[in-house]
Amino acid sequence: MLDKILNALQKNNIGHYLINEVTTESVELFFIRRRLDIRREKSVHDYSLTVYRDFEKDGKKMRGSSAIGIYNGMTEEELDQAIKEAYYAASFVCNLYYELPKGKKEEFIPSTSKLASMPLTESAMLMTEALFAEDTKDDVYLNSAEMFLEKSVIHILNSEGIDVSYDKYTASGEFVAQCPSPMDVETYQSFHYTEPDTTALKEKVKYTLETTKARAVAVAAPKSGEYKVIISGHFVSTIFDYYMDRSSAALIYPGYSNYTKGCKVQGENVTGDLLSINLIANEPYSTEGIKLIDRPLVTAGELNTIHGNSRFSHYLNTEPTGIYSQIKVQGGSKSFEEMKTGKYLHVVNFSDFQMDSFSGHYGGEIRLAFLCDGETVTPVTGGSINGSILETHGSLTLSKELQKEKGYEGPFAIAFEKVNVAGI
Amino acid sequence: MKVNSSTYLQQVKPLLKELLDNLLKKYRYVSILASDSKAMIYSVSKRGTVISEDSLLSGRGFVAKIYDGTSYGEYSFNGITKELLPEILRKIEESLIPLKNALPNGIDIISYEELKDETLSFHESTNYQESLSDMGSEKIISLLTSLSEEGRNYDPSVLDCSAGLRFQEYHKLFLSRGKDMEQDVLWTTGTTMVMVSKGEEIKYYFKGYSNLGGSEILKDMKEGLKETADSALALLDSEPITPGEYDCICTPEVTGMIVHEAFGHGVEMDMFVKKRALAEKYVGEYVASPLITMHDGGTAAEETATYFFDDEGIPAKDTVIIEKGILKRGISDSQSAMYLGTEPTGNGRRQSYERKAYTRMTNTFFEGGHDKVEDMIASVEYGFLLDNPSSGMEDPKNWGIQCMVNVAREIKDGKLTGKIFSPIVLTGYVPDLLKSISMVSEEKALGGGGFCGKGYKEWVKVSDGGPYIKAKIRLG
Repeated sequence: MLDKILNALQKNNIGHYLINEVTTESVELFFIRRRLDIRREKSVHDYSLTVYRDFEKDGKKMRGSSAIGIYNGMTEEELDQAIKEAYYAASFVCNLYYELPKGKKEEFIPSTSKLASMPLTESAMLMTEALFAEDTKDDVYLNSAEMFLEKSVIHILNSEGIDVSYDKYTASGEFVAQCPSPMDVETYQSFHYTEPDTTALKEKVKYTLETTKARAVAVAAPKSGEYKVIISGHFVSTIFDYYMDRSSAALIYPGYSNYTKGCKVQGENVTGDLLSINLIANEPYSTEGIKLIDRPLVTAGELNTIHGNSRFSHYLNTEPTGIYSQIKVQGGSKSFEEMKTGKYLHVVNFSDFQMDSFSGHYGGEIRLAFLCDGETVTPVTGGSINGSILETHGSLTLSKELQKEKGYEGPFAIAFEKVNVAGI
Repeated sequence: MKVNSSTYLQQVKPLLKELLDNLLKKYRYVSILASDSKAMIYSVSKRGTVISEDSLLSGRGFVAKIYDGTSYGEYSFNGITKELLPEILRKIEESLIPLKNALPNGIDIISYEELKDETLSFHESTNYQESLSDMGSEKIISLLTSLSEEGRNYDPSVLDCSAGLRFQEYHKLFLSRGKDMEQDVLWTTGTTMVMVSKGEEIKYYFKGYSNLGGSEILKDMKEGLKETADSALALLDSEPITPGEYDCICTPEVTGMIVHEAFGHGVEMDMFVKKRALAEKYVGEYVASPLITMHDGGTAAEETATYFFDDEGIPAKDTVIIEKGILKRGISDSQSAMYLGTEPTGNGRRQSYERKAYTRMTNTFFEGGHDKVEDMIASVEYGFLLDNPSSGMEDPKNWGIQCMVNVAREIKDGKLTGKIFSPIVLTGYVPDLLKSISMVSEEKALGGGGFCGKGYKEWVKVSDGGPYIKAKIRLG
């Protein structure tokens, strides 16, 4: 198929293009309690093609583009027609000219993950064993779970010489822990590993079972008012989406973000912890074929890097870094225990927690929190928090303790002062 | 006119039948779902112009579901030729089927009966006036550029205005021993979003448009732009709300979010199988005001989630879930229905041929009532008109509400004061909210601009809506 695509591009005199080829195999297991409900396997091969077209409009040099999928079973005529239509469509995409990333043919980069050393089925069973290892009690247990073992081979090539390929392996999924009494409650949890990290999965299940049991005795929502709110677990990573988004060329170019290199992302008056965030290359290349390397994003509250794809980076005259999907945040000044002093509301689980990078508002409904009045700690459930990062990031506190989640390595907990809580 | 059928599916149908026949020699139940889907995204904003195939919704491929005598397995693939058939059969027989034998100690397998496979053969298509494909990229981008520029020039405080269109034209073929069904469906959606800035804070108001059809929505998009821009500008003076319980009037969009997120997910019967839904214990009981009747189904309305058969080959239906306040039944996929001993309702849906089928909503809504919207507002001494839903999350287990709306318009002494509060989180207990509904408008609308996830994945197109409703809601 790749030859067919290249021939069609040549035949239509299309000089600038990007091809992404992905082959995916998976083994998928779906469980209800400790019983297999259904099993699935997948083997698919996909291509996507972006064609670029240069033209002038109002005296300005433009580079339009249009992206299409190329499918197995497409005849040469169908392929030719699809490419023609995409190239025609690109002539109406009036985006200012930008350079495409350049490169050369590189050696295939094989995954160094231990998952690569065994068949997917074997990895699936190993991870399944870990998933249920801590599920040993009658009063709190795994209600259901899904397990996905996936191998992807990625090949990226463009008209500017880039021809790179690598493979990657993931073990991911989700589970729901249930505690049927005194209140029948549950906790949803997802997991994502690039190694057969059975220890981490066992720990995650154990922690989730424990917090679910705690939620079962929580009966009331906190009273409405302002609280020092501590958020822990995987929801912490959502907060940092704000800094990732605001420092991206895609938001800076149209003026959605006013970040500049060297700006103080938490404002001028910071009384809490200063943020230090690194961009982590969790894959060898971006989807454009740009080599990804670890980079400092924010150091002690100051922005080091504006990150982005080739187009927006060209417009801002910054280095095209490629798009990152992993960050590492430096731990804070206090231990998790030290953070829990005085009066606070420690939210362990939300039904969903959202960060709006445009408005800076974050919020979610509380599934389980521990309310401390300064002396006693009470589990509470219900109500919601509604905060603004712009009003609270000058005084935030990060825990020394770290955690690893999908796309995130950093503090286990974060605390904000004076956050609005809607309760009873 | 009718959506055309897929030439590709016609070409591969003999090969799929050959695969089916081969598998049926060994296995009692086999079905194959084939899909050929093209979806495109068009957008214009200050960020630039985009014409791109929607990779989430596009593709050609197949999923075979096989019953081995006690349990089910599925194999998803997207290459089929005469030469590939032996390899596909080998993978199913030598890898998928024996996979269950490799399970760790202590993990059992659920035993299922064979799925019913009644004889059914039809080919149905939806209608449209003009598709975006027929309209062409030049005209589409020209119209979106004009909308985007009009929005950007509306007021100096406007930071940007994005205008977008999306369509999906999909064709599905379902084959089993008894079934040979085909369907061709086209839907189109549009959005306009106006962004305004106040220092570092950016506020935005968006409006969605949708239909089961083609470019017919463009007229509404143009007419709605002024209202969208005015609403965004009004957000500049918005304030955070004082948390508390208030009398609220919900617009059809907010009603839709409550119907879908707060209640609909709780009656997806794969959650009954897992004992994850409180609703299972309330069938036959009052869960809402007697003013409320709730529907879901591929044939319940003509919107973006309309279809003729689901991804497990069950004909689509119009299911009445709540009738005059009483919970009557849930919705289900085939396997969940078999587990529970109920009839499947045609709600087995996949994100794509690459994914498992789950019980999913389709077009979900409350029926209209008898009240006038102006009377509803006039009845509120102090409260809010809730508008512009932004997100929601289900909680079938405990019926907790987690919904966010962009705008709460203050009502004082029966009149809108013009004061706006934003953003707003709705919380509380679902039956408390539904039972508190005291007025329901005649006016009713459905919107199909969004996608629905199962947890945090498995995105499918849905529509939801209903009338304006008056209820007591906890806001924060």
